Amino acid sequence: MFSKDAIKLYVLGLSLLVLTAFVFFRENTTDWRDYQAEFRDLVTEKFGAERAEQIPTGVQQIWVKDLDRVDRCVTCHQAVEWKGLETAPNPYRTHPKGILEKHPLTAYGCTSCHGGQGFSTTLPDAHGNVEHWEEPVLGQEVSEAYLIKNSKALMEMNCNACHRYDRETKGMDYINTAKNLVEEKDCRACHTINGRGGIIGPDLTFEGEKPTEQFDYGRLTGRHAVFAWQVAHFQNPKMVSPDSIMPNFGFSSQDAQALALLVMSWRKEQIPAHYISGVQLRDVPTPEEIAREKEMLEGDGAFFVQNKCFVCHSVSSLGVNSAAKIGPDLSDAVVDVQNRFGRTLDDFLMEPTGTMSVVLATQIPLTTEQRHQAIALLKVAYQRKLEQQIKSASPSPTPTGK
Amino acid sequence: MATEEIGETKASSSLLTAMREKLALKPMWEKLTWTWKPETKREAGDAIVRNFLLHWFPAKVSLESLSWGYSFWLGTISAVLFLILTITGGILMFLYVPSVERAYLSVKDLEFSTSYGWFLRGLHRISAHLMVAVVFLHMVRVFLTGAFKNGRKAVGQNRPLNWIVGVALLLITLLLSFTGYLLPWDQLAYWAITVGTNIASSAPVFGDPTRFILLGGTTIEQATLIRFYVLHCFLLPLATFGLVSYHMWRVRKDGGLACTEKRYEEAKKQEQPAIASKTYSLLGITGGSAVDVQNVMIDDEKDKVPSSPYMTVRLAVVTLATLFISILLTLLVRAPLEEAANPAVTPNPAKAPWYFLWLQELVTITTFTVGGITINGALIGGIILPGVLVAAAVLWPYFDKSPVSSIGKWLPKERKWQNRIFLFIVAAILILTFIGTYMRGHSGRSICRGRNGNRRRENSDRARRAIRDV
Repeated sequence: MFSKDAIKLYVLGLSLLVLTAFVFFRENTTDWRDYQAEFRDLVTEKFGAERAEQIPTGVQQIWVKDLDRVDRCVTCHQAVEWKGLETAPNPYRTHPKGILEKHPLTAYGCTSCHGGQGFSTTLPDAHGNVEHWEEPVLGQEVSEAYLIKNSKALMEMNCNACHRYDRETKGMDYINTAKNLVEEKDCRACHTINGRGGIIGPDLTFEGEKPTEQFDYGRLTGRHAVFAWQVAHFQNPKMVSPDSIMPNFGFSSQDAQALALLVMSWRKEQIPAHYISGVQLRDVPTPEEIAREKEMLEGDGAFFVQNKCFVCHSVSSLGVNSAAKIGPDLSDAVVDVQNRFGRTLDDFLMEPTGTMSVVLATQIPLTTEQRHQAIALLKVAYQRKLEQQIKSASPSPTPTGK
Repeated sequence: MATEEIGETKASSSLLTAMREKLALKPMWEKLTWTWKPETKREAGDAIVRNFLLHWFPAKVSLESLSWGYSFWLGTISAVLFLILTITGGILMFLYVPSVERAYLSVKDLEFSTSYGWFLRGLHRISAHLMVAVVFLHMVRVFLTGAFKNGRKAVGQNRPLNWIVGVALLLITLLLSFTGYLLPWDQLAYWAITVGTNIASSAPVFGDPTRFILLGGTTIEQATLIRFYVLHCFLLPLATFGLVSYHMWRVRKDGGLACTEKRYEEAKKQEQPAIASKTYSLLGITGGSAVDVQNVMIDDEKDKVPSSPYMTVRLAVVTLATLFISILLTLLVRAPLEEAANPAVTPNPAKAPWYFLWLQELVTITTFTVGGITINGALIGGIILPGVLVAAAVLWPYFDKSPVSSIGKWLPKERKWQNRIFLFIVAAILILTFIGTYMRGHSGRSICRGRNGNRRRENSDRARRAIRDV
């Protein structure tokens, strides 16, 4: 019994060793290693061995924290940012330059525009034509399947995630056409889009978010996918949903494709505001604040508003009010300067000391002419103040009876 | 007088030191290891006496206990699987992030970029599934051999208690697997847990509070994930470890495997009736009757072999075989990872984990409408029936009146009806699980009906966002 068991033990031990070797083999034979080796050969041939030695090895990735994306595409597509491989076969081709300048890899990664599965380091998974991955690489293969003439058109759907509020975007021909059609055919008469529009049809603001389960493919011939449904629906709404009251606009197939891309781009993507084109990142002043600034700009103290003196100083006699009031009111600057510095206003403004010397040297560089203008205005302001004081000091006229 | 006193103190102090020496607790590591170079005979003796590892197994074991055919070593295999799970799980804890934002991504990382991540995850998953199956089979074996019954071989036997511990361990194993199911945070995980916890909520009175406590709220969210994570990685493994230790200790305490009772009974028959030749009691300190020393002569040496190497080698064979099969399956079966969890999209069909599919089927079967009144299947099929089954399992040993001679035998005549009922229940569970796994398609309809239509629809459903169809 013991010897039999011992033999079993040895056999199992050896089999486990074989299995371990197989695990090791699978871990260390991945396609990306082959692609990297081939790329090194290509570079050696074209640019010399020295250049090839500098190519990084191992899994490469671009981590875009803002977009919560990790793209390992560059593990195989190593030449993306190289020069001189524009005509090389993929995956060794240089990426077209213009678009990369505006959309650097470090800020956008690859999949935010191209689609595909960024985590992956194996080919079918990376290109996303696998089960349980919803965003395949938007390229030739898919375009051909849907008879789209321009193989880059599908990508515009992803571009529009950030560019959705643009009226027109350079290079996004399909989406631009579709946006024009939205205005031309007045889709908003029935549909709300981005918070504007009618309520006869459904709100389309997040139409791209609608899952495939919510579509009825019963009357659809051919492919059962949302894109196919949308195209068919734009071409003949009643055909795919008989209860629809949407009119048939007789869109051409290309227009229908463009519109399908547009509505499918309207998703709830988690994109930081500074990525979204046309969104201004500033706190907008209230209407009252705007009105007050406009009023001050039209009054006699406009000079002090234009030159930002009013950030610190009020000139109350000229109707200029500072929100911060860091410095003294300049209405009586003529006497105040004399009191504080023992110098005349003219003298002080021409050659200021203390805080004002720093402010005028760095933040508000006034020309000599402007300084003269300021002095003249401040004298007027003082005059105005004195007048106001006299007016308020004189007794108000006694009210007459009847 | 004075000298006597001094002598006495000396004696008592030396006795004290001796006692201290005797009582001195060695550090744990010295108990687990032993010296290879004992300097005194005492040290050599101590090395044996105080060593846990050398006392884990009895000095000698019967050949029947070691045989493949009696126990199939299912308990050992379960323990080995638990060991594999503990080791792979421990490493996975360094790589997995239990947050709803990162969980799915960290599993993707395991699959694609972590060195041997796919292997660790695959092995952990396969071992978990195997453990559920093997623990269940172990229970079946114990029942069919009547090993939950007390015999007459050893004093202080309590096999029914150990059977209950085993039932608890089976439930904990299911819970371990269930809590681990959620962690990848993909569609499969999310909806399986939805189905599973919805069944729990149909229990009267305690249902909704149970679900609330389990989920940490009313929806499966971050609170659920961290709860399941802590249960899965800490509390449940700890409970398993404790209960398994007790389970093993009880096996020794109960006189070994039940199959050894047989020989005892046979020997007893052949020998003269035992005479209680002497009683030992601990000076009346302990309660209960004294230990009977009976003169039943069993030639221990005849059918027993030393544990080492006979048992240890067989243990090593079982360990390696379990590891071999687990790794082989890991290489053959790719661990699935579906789309990231999406509460807005319910996959059709949404299924519970496979080992709960028989429950889901029960729920489906017991949901029906009679004259406008809908019978709540989740209550009958999901709570009452399984509750009754567990209760029956726990109480069974106490109602079993079969003779002692039927202990430790496969399918004995004396327990024919018991085993038939048990096997019927097992078969029902297996058949329902099979139906739930392979014959349920879209909208819970049987796939056999309108096969093509359903399949096609299911496929198009998978391509959620549109552009891709399968």
